[in-house]
Amino acid sequence: MGESRGGGCCPPMDLMRSETMQLVQLIVPMESAHLTVSYLGDLGLVQFKDLNSEKSPFQRTYAAQIKRCGEMARKIRFFKDQMSKAEVLPKELLEKESDIDLDDVEVKLGELEAELVEINANNDKLQRSYNELMEYKLVLQKAGEFFSSAHRSATAQQREIESEDSQQAGDDLLESPLLQEEKSVDSSKQVKLGFLTGLVPREKSMVFERILFRATRGNIFIRQTVIEEPVIDPSSGEKAEKNVFIVFYSGERAKSKILKICEAFGANRYPFSEDLGKQAQMITEVSGRLSELKTTIDAGLGHRNVLLQTIGDKFELWNLKVRKEKAIYHTLNMLSLDVTKKCLVAEGWSPVFASNEIQDALQRAAVDSNSQVGSIFQVLRTKESPPTYFRTNKFTSAIQEIVDAYGVAKYQEANPGVFTIVTFPFLFAVMFGDWGHGICILLATMYLILREKKLASQKLGDIMEMAFGGRYVILMMSLFSIYTGLIYNEFFSIPYPLFAPSAYDCRDASCSEATTIGLIKVRDTYPFGLDPVWHGTRSELPFLNSLKMKMSILLGVSQMNLGIIMSYFNARFFKSSVNIWFQFIPQMIFLNSLFGYLSVLIIIKWCTGSQADLYHVMIYMFLSPTDELGENQLFPHQKTVQLVLLFLALVSVPCMLLPKPFILKKQHEARHQGQSYAPLDETDESLHVETTGGSHGHEEFEFSEIFVHQLIHTIEFVLGAVSNTASYLRLWALSLAHSELSSVFYEKVLLLAWGYNNVFILIIGILVFIFATVGVLLVMETLSAFLHALRLHWVEFQNKFYEGDGYKFAPFTFIFTANEDE
Amino acid sequence: MGFLITTLIFLVVGIIASLCVRICFSRGPSTNLLHLTLVITATICCWMMWAIVYIAQMNPLIVPILSETE
Repeated sequence: MGESRGGGCCPPMDLMRSETMQLVQLIVPMESAHLTVSYLGDLGLVQFKDLNSEKSPFQRTYAAQIKRCGEMARKIRFFKDQMSKAEVLPKELLEKESDIDLDDVEVKLGELEAELVEINANNDKLQRSYNELMEYKLVLQKAGEFFSSAHRSATAQQREIESEDSQQAGDDLLESPLLQEEKSVDSSKQVKLGFLTGLVPREKSMVFERILFRATRGNIFIRQTVIEEPVIDPSSGEKAEKNVFIVFYSGERAKSKILKICEAFGANRYPFSEDLGKQAQMITEVSGRLSELKTTIDAGLGHRNVLLQTIGDKFELWNLKVRKEKAIYHTLNMLSLDVTKKCLVAEGWSPVFASNEIQDALQRAAVDSNSQVGSIFQVLRTKESPPTYFRTNKFTSAIQEIVDAYGVAKYQEANPGVFTIVTFPFLFAVMFGDWGHGICILLATMYLILREKKLASQKLGDIMEMAFGGRYVILMMSLFSIYTGLIYNEFFSIPYPLFAPSAYDCRDASCSEATTIGLIKVRDTYPFGLDPVWHGTRSELPFLNSLKMKMSILLGVSQMNLGIIMSYFNARFFKSSVNIWFQFIPQMIFLNSLFGYLSVLIIIKWCTGSQADLYHVMIYMFLSPTDELGENQLFPHQKTVQLVLLFLALVSVPCMLLPKPFILKKQHEARHQGQSYAPLDETDESLHVETTGGSHGHEEFEFSEIFVHQLIHTIEFVLGAVSNTASYLRLWALSLAHSELSSVFYEKVLLLAWGYNNVFILIIGILVFIFATVGVLLVMETLSAFLHALRLHWVEFQNKFYEGDGYKFAPFTFIFTANEDE
Repeated sequence: MGFLITTLIFLVVGIIASLCVRICFSRGPSTNLLHLTLVITATICCWMMWAIVYIAQMNPLIVPILSETE
C-alpha cells in the first residue's frame, strides 16, 4: 500500500480517510523495557505486533511473571467474592493514587489470603458445632416431652389398673407403657431394651420408618415428632425440615442395623438419658454452651468484617495494578529478544502524528530507569496494509461505530461516516416526521446529554448503555424529526396552519361541492410544508402517497449519486484512472440516464401540472421506444431524448464490464516486464512478449478471476440500480405507517374519550393515549425507522463505493472495560 | 416566485450557519472543512425536502375532497 498512496487531490478533511499510519521499530534496552511499555500504554497510540507468534505461551520470556500476576489476580477475585458475600463494598478509586510496588502487593495479598482462609475455616467449624448443639437441644426437648407424656399416661393407666381387680392386673401389665415395665421388671428378663434418639429429614421420615421396621422384622418401636421450624443441618449448612425420632429396640444385632440405617439416611443421633434430672441438667448445659458459641461466632464474624474492610480500602488500587502489570507482561512477551545486544525489539503500528509523543515517552522511560543507553525509534517500510484509525470525539464516535459495525474501512478509503452523520438522522426523520414526537425525543435525549458526566461513571443496564452511547445521534435524529414534522405538518397527527392560511378554499360561497368534487386552489402554494387542509380529507391518501413515493425516489437517486461520486474520490485518491474511466463514468451514465431521467420527469410533471403517466413513460421507453408519446409528452423532443438515453445506458454496460480486466492485465504485464529481464535496451518487441499469467513477482494475477469479479460487480450494479431505487420506497412506507398510527391513536382514543363528556373516561383515555404514544410510536417506531435508515445506508449507499475489509487500530492501552477479567 | 424567495432564504441560512460554525468551533483547517461539509449537507437535505413538497403542491392534480362530517 505504500507505493500507490495518493493524496493531494483535494484538501484534507478530518474523518474522511484514516490517519496515516507507519510501521515503527523500537529497540529498547532490557532495563528500561518495563517502564517503556508502561509509558507507551499510558499514551495508548501504539499497536504492537506479536513477534513471537510461533512460540507457545510457556516458551515466552515472561511466562513466569504472567503466572505470578495470574496468582495475584486469583487472590483478588477470591477477595472480591468474599467481600460481596459479606456485602462489603470496595472503596472507589481516586484519581491519583500513589504508585505501589508489585512485590509489596504480592506479599500483602499472600498474607491476607492466608488469614482470611483461616478465619473462614474456624468460622465454619464453630458454626457446625453450633448447629449440632441446636439440634441436640431440640432432641432433648422433644424426646423429653415424649418421655414425660408417656410417663403421665403410664401413671394414669397404672391408677386405672389398680382400681380394677387384680385378676386382670397380670394381663394388663403387658399393655403398660414401657417405662412402667422397665421399672417393674427385674434384670432376670433376657431382653434388654435400648433406645436411640435423633433427627431425620422430614421427606425421608416415612421411608426411614418403613426400612427400620422391615430390617428388624418389626421388632422395634418408633415415634416421630415434627419440628415446626426448619433446622440448619450441620453438614450442609442449609435449613431443612426435620423430625425428632426415638427408636426402641432389643438386642445388639438390631442396634447395629439401626445404626447403619441412620447413617445411610443422614439422620443425626444424639445421646439421651431417661433420667429426668439428667435431662434437665443436659438442657441447661447445652443452652449455656450455645450462648457461648454464639458470642464466639459473632466475635469471629466481626473480626472477619474488619479484615474485609481493610481489604476493601485498597482493593481497587491493587486490582488496577495487577491488571496493568499483566497487560504489560503480555505485551513484553510480544517483543523479540535480541540476545546478542541485550535488548528487546518491538514492532508496531502507530499514527504518523504520534511520532514525537512516542519518542518523548521512550526518552522519559530511559531516564526514569537509569539506563545507560537510550531507545531507538525507526520507521520501517512495508507492503503490509496498516490498520485503520479515525480520531473521533464523543460526537462522531457513535456514528463511526455504526459504520464500523458493517465493516471497518480499508486503509485510507473514503469513510462513509462523514456523510452518514447528517444523512442518517435525515432519512430517519423522513420516516418519522412528527414534530410533537420529535420534541418528546429531544427532551429525553437532552436529559441524557445534560447529565452526561454523572451517567458516564455509573454502570447502566444494557439498553440504557446503548441509548446513552448514541445520545448525540438521537439528538440529531430528534432535531431533524422536528424539521420534517413541520414539513409534513403533523403535531401528534394534527396539522396547523403555522405559516400562512391554507391554499385551498371552496369553489363558491355555499361550499356545496366540498364533499363531492372538492376544493380548489385559490391562493399561493402553502409556503412551508404540506397544506394543513389535507388531513382528514377523502383524497388525502392518494395525494400523500404520490408525493411521498416520488420524494423517496428523488432522495434515493440523490444518495446513490453521492455514493458513486464517493467512488470517484476514492479512484482519484488511489490514482487509479481505470477506475475513473471504466467504472465511475459508465456507472454515472447508467444510473442517471434511467433513474436520473425519471427524477427529472417527476420534477417536470410537478412544475407543469401535466397529466402524463410516468409509469407508462418509463415502461414504454424500454418496450417500444420509437412509439409516439401522445398525451404522455412532457417536453418537446422527448422521444429523441429517450432514445439517446436508452442507447447510452445500453452502451455503458459493456463499458463497465469489458475494458477493465484487459487494462489491468496490461498494467500487470508492464509492471513485471522489468523483473523478468535484465536491463537491456528495451525494444518494442519486448513489450509484446507474453508473460505466462504473471507467475513472476509476488502478486498473482489470474485473469479469469479478475474477469469474473468484474462481471459480478457489473451485474450487481445494473440489477441493483433498479432494486436499490425501489428499496428507497421504504421511506414512503414507514412515514405512512407512522402518520396512520398517530392519527388512529389521536382520533380513536383521545377524541373518543373526549366525546363522552365524562372526566373519568377522559382521564383513562389520556392515559391510554400516552402509553400508546410512548410505547408504539416513540419506542417501536423509533427503532423501526432507525433500522431501516441504517439498512439504506449500509446497503444502498455503501455498496456503490465502500469495500470495508480493513481492520481496526487497537492500540495498547490501560483503559480497561469493566468486565475485562483477563 | 415564492419558490425562489424561500430557496434564497435557505441559501442565506446555510451561509450564516457555516459562518457561525467557523467562528464558534474553529479548530484547524481539516476539521473546519469537515464542519463545512456537514453544514452544507444538512442545508441541502433540508432544502431538498422542502422544495420537493413545495413543487408537488404548485400544480396539483388531486384536490382535497372533504369528508362528510365536517
